[in-house]
Amino acid sequence: MFVKVNNLGVLTRAVRNVSRRKMRAFLVIVALGFSMAIMISIPAGIVANQEATQGMTKNLASTISSMQEEINKTTTLIEVSASSGRGTSISIPFGMPSGTPPSGFEQKEVFTNETVGDEIRTIEGVKDVVPFLEKSSNETTSQTIDTPRGSFTISRPLYTITGVSLNSSFIDSYSVLPTDITAGRALQEGDSGVVLMSSNLTDYYGVGVGDTIEIYGESFTIVGIYEPTSQGRTEGREVYMNISDAQTVTDNVGNVSRFDVYAEDVSYVDGIAEVIKAAYSDLYVTTYEDRLANLENMQERYTQSLDNAESTLAQTQATATEEIIVAVAATSLIVLFVMLYTVRERTKEIGILKAIGFSNWNIMSQFMLEGILISIIAGVVGVAIGSIGAPILTSLLLPRVNLFSGSSGRFQLGFGSVNPGTTGSTTTTASLTPDLILLAFGAAMLLGALGSLYPAWRASRTSPMEALRYE
Amino acid sequence: MSELVLETEKLDKVYKLGGRQVRALSDVNIQVKKGDFISIMGPSGSGKTTLLNMLGCLDKPTYGKVVLDGVNITKVPEKGLFKIRKYKIGFVFQTFNLMPYLNAIENVELPMEGTKKSGDEKRKRAHELLKMVGLSEREEHRQHLLSAGEQQRVAIARALANNPAIVLADEPTGNLDSKTGYEIVRLLGKLNIDQGTTIIMVTHDSRIAACAGRMLFLSDGRLLAKEKQGTHLMEKVLTCPYCGKEIQPDDAFCPRCGKEV
Repeated sequence: MFVKVNNLGVLTRAVRNVSRRKMRAFLVIVALGFSMAIMISIPAGIVANQEATQGMTKNLASTISSMQEEINKTTTLIEVSASSGRGTSISIPFGMPSGTPPSGFEQKEVFTNETVGDEIRTIEGVKDVVPFLEKSSNETTSQTIDTPRGSFTISRPLYTITGVSLNSSFIDSYSVLPTDITAGRALQEGDSGVVLMSSNLTDYYGVGVGDTIEIYGESFTIVGIYEPTSQGRTEGREVYMNISDAQTVTDNVGNVSRFDVYAEDVSYVDGIAEVIKAAYSDLYVTTYEDRLANLENMQERYTQSLDNAESTLAQTQATATEEIIVAVAATSLIVLFVMLYTVRERTKEIGILKAIGFSNWNIMSQFMLEGILISIIAGVVGVAIGSIGAPILTSLLLPRVNLFSGSSGRFQLGFGSVNPGTTGSTTTTASLTPDLILLAFGAAMLLGALGSLYPAWRASRTSPMEALRYE
Repeated sequence: MSELVLETEKLDKVYKLGGRQVRALSDVNIQVKKGDFISIMGPSGSGKTTLLNMLGCLDKPTYGKVVLDGVNITKVPEKGLFKIRKYKIGFVFQTFNLMPYLNAIENVELPMEGTKKSGDEKRKRAHELLKMVGLSEREEHRQHLLSAGEQQRVAIARALANNPAIVLADEPTGNLDSKTGYEIVRLLGKLNIDQGTTIIMVTHDSRIAACAGRMLFLSDGRLLAKEKQGTHLMEKVLTCPYCGKEIQPDDAFCPRCGKEV
């Protein structure tokens, strides 16, 4: 029924018509481009948030399961520590005004006398007492911590020195040293003046096995490098050395930070813990059960945080859906109004075309093609804006998903800590995938067609006689 | 006897304007033979354009019928009218109505869009037509680079693109100075004689109307009984309206009195 459309002719005319009003076309395309950019950036942001949450969930699950394993392996271990926490943990109160360095972020290092170990060894059921000295390095590094109230730059020790009693029976029986050696060897009985370093620290210094480094003014030779695992015990930059070297070099002769007390059997653990608690009120005693309770507590908080994150994510998705609907509506409306205006402006032209034999379909396809053409160009602009501005657009348009938003702003992992600024919050780097770009062009064509459908239909229905009279 | 190209029978057109009826055309009967060059004259509001709109399938009569090239176009449904306008009718407008974003040759090709002609055939036909109206050198020029007379020539070439049964010209000289107006009407006359193109031209200018082969008069929507044989421009002797000296159609000024003619 309809006369076949000479597509080349229609397309050429569509291109010329769009370029006839250059400024208008430019403004419309930029406006549409922004709508398109929003449309494609938001899903990109959502995907990034989802991936971050999933990644976090996976990481936490694996952390918890390996900690569980570790705890299960050490049922006879009683930790006796001079301080309440281990490692360097940072507590940032949420109400703190931005820019103020938080006070008390530096872990106070407390020591006890190593003779306490000898006394503990005499308690019934104690098999071994392994002393450790943990001391922050004299070198420091600055670190920026992001909190919901702003960023803080703080100075932290570059690494931790752990002095280990290099008794071969301790080394063989208990996990006193890191096991994942990547170069050189582990420490062994009789070692002195040598260190085992974490690879992140050797990388930091750019040194290797055989090189020497200076610690508290003394030279040490690196005999081995190990790979720190992501969980508790071996997290961060660390240096392991003979405890007597550590005591000497850090000026802590006779001092230790903690003891790992091993019971003959699990049945002695509670009794030993009681005796130590009674005798040394200033020491912190942690048993298998305490550790398990801690872990459960931590697990609970993780679950809660993940629930929070998931509900925030759900809210984010709801907001995103609304924003996408608004962007889609805005795009269609822009096309609709521009095309309605164009049809009105070109009424006489429609009359002429009809008078010289153009069918309704010819007219309709002409205007629809112009609408689609504008939208496709806007799609290209949208992808360009989106690929540069997706992270900015998503951060402006979507609520931030923070996985750890507990009141303390800190998670104590039992053997270390997770800093909210570094691993606690998701990094929502929205990026455009080919799928999204394809989707953008599909949406552009569809919205262009949708927005220009009514104006084009109206144009096609115009009476040629009245249109010819239109000025 | 030549065959009839166009015939109207008891053509009536009544408009409703603010509750009252206005009779724009009343009982109009016209017979147009193939090769006719007819001018329809009448003052403003006499129904000339209304009649032309009926003949050109742009409007439907209230009563009566229009038979174009053997087809009763008043019975053709709205959807099918575009084919009649495309293949049977060529329009020439007072204001030329070229597409400003197309050059001369593209404007001439425009009515051929959607026909079975290939791109090359369309281009060849448009080229021939522009040559016929004397614009071979101006093919690539857009509207703003063409004079009013040239624009009307392009419009005439466009009207002829699909070799229509009839050319309908609505005040084709209305926007032109008298010299260019004569050139245009002379071109129409030439096409009529050389190509046998059937032309109906509406005008209120009696001098232009007189250039056609046959003159019809329309007054208050009625075709007057008087019908004049036109002088046909090809044979007409032009004279200066001020001094009576014979002038050539191309003359802008009278060679004797020097006044603009």
